[in-house]
Amino acid sequence: MKLLWAVSALLLSCWRANASTAPNIITEPSEVSNQTSAVLSCNLTESNLPIKGSHWMYNGKVIETSQSGDAAPFTTLRLDKITHSSGGKYECVFLTEPEAKQTIEVKTLPHVAAYKHSEHGNEKDKGSMVCVSHGYPLPTDWTWFKEEDGSMRPIINGTVEKYEIKSTPNKTTLIINDLSMEGDIGDYVCSGTNELGTTTDKIHLRVRSRLAALWPFLGIVAEVIILVTIIFIYEKRRKPDEITDDDDSGSAPLKSNSTANHKDKNVRQRNSN
Amino acid sequence: MAPAPAEELGYKPLDGGWGWMVVVGAHISIGFAYSTPKVLSIFFKEIQADLGASYSEIAWISSIMLAVMYAGGPVSSVLVNRFGSRPIVILGGLMCGVSMITASFGSSIVYLYLCIGIIGGCGLSLNLNASLTMISKYFLAKRPLANGLAMAGSPVFLCVMAPVNQYLLHKFGWRGSLLILGGLMFNCCVAGALMRPVAASCKPSCSPQKKMEEEANTTLKDSCMNSAKKFLDLSFFKDRGFVIYLIGNMLFIFGAYGPIVFLPAYAISLGVEEYSAAYLLSIMGFVDMFVRPGTGLIANSKWIRPRIQYFFSFAVVFNGTCHLLSTLIETYPFLVAYAVFFGISFGMVFALIFECLMDLMGNQRFPSAVGLVTIIECFPMLLGPPAAGLLVDVFGDYKCLFFMCGSVILTGGLFLFFMNIYNYYMLEKEKPAKDREQNQTNVENQDQVSEAEMKQIPEAAMEQTEPEAKVKNGAQSDLNGQSITEEEAVIERANPQTTENNV
Repeated sequence: MKLLWAVSALLLSCWRANASTAPNIITEPSEVSNQTSAVLSCNLTESNLPIKGSHWMYNGKVIETSQSGDAAPFTTLRLDKITHSSGGKYECVFLTEPEAKQTIEVKTLPHVAAYKHSEHGNEKDKGSMVCVSHGYPLPTDWTWFKEEDGSMRPIINGTVEKYEIKSTPNKTTLIINDLSMEGDIGDYVCSGTNELGTTTDKIHLRVRSRLAALWPFLGIVAEVIILVTIIFIYEKRRKPDEITDDDDSGSAPLKSNSTANHKDKNVRQRNSN
Repeated sequence: MAPAPAEELGYKPLDGGWGWMVVVGAHISIGFAYSTPKVLSIFFKEIQADLGASYSEIAWISSIMLAVMYAGGPVSSVLVNRFGSRPIVILGGLMCGVSMITASFGSSIVYLYLCIGIIGGCGLSLNLNASLTMISKYFLAKRPLANGLAMAGSPVFLCVMAPVNQYLLHKFGWRGSLLILGGLMFNCCVAGALMRPVAASCKPSCSPQKKMEEEANTTLKDSCMNSAKKFLDLSFFKDRGFVIYLIGNMLFIFGAYGPIVFLPAYAISLGVEEYSAAYLLSIMGFVDMFVRPGTGLIANSKWIRPRIQYFFSFAVVFNGTCHLLSTLIETYPFLVAYAVFFGISFGMVFALIFECLMDLMGNQRFPSAVGLVTIIECFPMLLGPPAAGLLVDVFGDYKCLFFMCGSVILTGGLFLFFMNIYNYYMLEKEKPAKDREQNQTNVENQDQVSEAEMKQIPEAAMEQTEPEAKVKNGAQSDLNGQSITEEEAVIERANPQTTENNV
C-alpha cells in the first residue's frame, strides 16, 4: 500500500514537473490562407530555460536573414508579398535546450501552368498535353475541359477510349488517341483545385494532316528530275563540239601566234583530227 | 616541289570551264555528307518522345551514320575506280534519299539505326569519295582553290540546314521532316549529274596506258582475289609520305571534335547564358564558311603551293594552340574571339586535308588512298569526343578537355611539320636513282607507240609543250631548277627530249 502511494506520488510529481517546464509557443496567426501579405509571429511562454536565439525555417531550410541571437521569447517574420512560390510550411525555432518549434502553414491558390501553350499532333497519331502546378498545397483534383462554341465541355477519364488522363499532385497529362483534324483541333483547358480554390490554363492543339509533308516532297523530287534532265540534255547537245573544244583549249595560247607559224597550223590540224 | 610520284595523267586537266560546275556538284555532295549527321540531332528530342528511347540510344543514330560514312571509304574507292564518279554520286544520292524516306515511317529505334545510320551512311560515303576524286580529275593547277570551295560545302550546309530543319520540325513533325529531307538529299543526284566524266583526249602517250588499263581490267574481271586485294590496298603503307600524313591526321581528328561538342557546355560553366553559348558555334561555322575558300586561294599561290604540306602542318599547329590558349579564357568576349580563331584554324585544316592527300598520292592513287584514310580515321573520330567527355567526368573541369585536345592536335601538327622536312630530305636523296628509273620506263613506253604516231608529232609539238609548260607552270614552283612538277612529268612522258632540254 505504502509502496503504491510512493510510486503514484513520484509519477505525479514528474508529470507536474514536465507540465510546468514544457515550453508553449503561441503562433499568430495559426494559419495563413489566401492573403497577399502577412506577419507571422511566435511567442514562447511558460519556459524559464535560457534562450540563445531564434530563427525561421521554410520547408525545412533555414531562412538566413531571420537568424537572431536575441534572447527574447518573441520572434516575427514578415511576408510582404505572398505568391504561389512563397506558400509552404514556415517554422519558428527557439534555440533552447531542447529546441522549441512550431509550424505555421501559408496556403495559396494553386498555380497551374501548361508546359507548352501550343501543342502539335499528327493525324491518326497520339497527342498529349501537360499541365504542371506549383505552390502549397498542391491540387488534389485535376479536370480537363474542351472549349466548344464558347462553353467548356468536361473530359471524363475512361468513359471514352479516346481520352486518357494521368494525374499526380503536381502534374497532369491529357492523352488524345487517334487525332482527327475535324474534331480535335481547338483549345483545351486544364484546371487544378485545392482546398482554397481553382486555377486554370489553356492549351491550343493543332493537328497536322498526314499528307502535309507530301506536297513539298513531291515538289522537290520534281525539281531534282527537271534539273537532272536539263543537265543531261545540255551534255548530249554539247557532245559533238566537246571533243574539239577540249583539244582547242589545249592549243588556245598558241592561237594568237598561229598566223605567223606554219608549224602551228599543222598542230591545229592534227588536233582537230 | 611536289613530292608526288610523277603520274601519267594521260590528259591535261581542265582547270576551269566545266570544272567549276563540278566544284558546285562536289560542294553540294560534301555539304550533305558532313552536315547531315550533325543537323539530324535537331530531330532527336521529338523522336525520343515519340519512340520512347533514351538520350544515348538516340545519339547512336548520328554516330552510326558518321562511322559508316567513314568506314565505307574503301568500298566506295573500289566502286569509283571501277565505274567512275558520276554513277556513284547518283547512286549515293538515291541511297541517302531513300534512307530518309524509309526512316520517316519508322516505329522503332533499331529501324532508324538501319535506315538512317547504315543506308544513309553508305550513301554519304559514296558521295564523299567520288566527289573528291572528281575534283582531282578536273583540276591540277587550281586544285587547292577547287578543294577549298568544295569543302566549304560543309559549313554552308550546316548553317543553312540547321534553321531549315527547325522550321520543318515545327511545321511537319519529325516524320514529315525526314520525308522532305530525303527529297532534299535527292539533290545529290543533281550534283552527280554535273560530274561529267573526263573525256581523255588521246595524245600519243595515252594509247599505251589505255592498252595497259584494258589488260589490267580483264585480269581483274577474271579473279576475285585481285578485287579483294584492291579493297584494302596495303601497299600504301610503304609510302613514307602517306604514313606521315595518316599519323598526323589521326592525331588531329582525335582532338578535333571534342571541343566542338563541349564548347557550349564549357561556356555555360563559365557563367555564359545558354543562348549566347549556342551562338558561339554559329560564329565558328560562319567564319569557317569563308575561311575554306580563302585558304584554298592562299594555298594556290605560287609561294604556298609547293610547300603545301608545311602549310597544312601550320594550320594544325594553329588549331592546337587555339585550344591550349582557350584554357586561359574566363570572359565571354574572349570566348567569342576563341570561337573566331577556332573557326579560322578548323576551316584551314579541312580545306587542306584532302588537297594534301591528293598532292601526296597523285591522281591515280587518290581514290584508293582516301578510302583507306577515311576508314582508319573512323576510329579516332569515334573515340575522341567520348574520351574527352570521360576526362571531364573524371576531373570535373572542362579546361582539362581543351588542354588534352589542344596538346594532341599540337603534337600532330609538329609531327607533320618535322616529319615532312625529313620526308622531303629523303626524297631529295632518292631522286637521282628515281630519275634514272623513270627515263628507262619512258624509253620503253615510247617503243610501244607505233612509228606512225611518232612521225605525226613534228617538232612543232615540242614547241607547243614548251611554252605551255612555262605559261601554265605558275602554280608549281621551281625551288631548285631540278624539281619535277606533276605537269612537267606529264610533258616529260610525252617528250623525253624536251625534259633534257629544260634540265
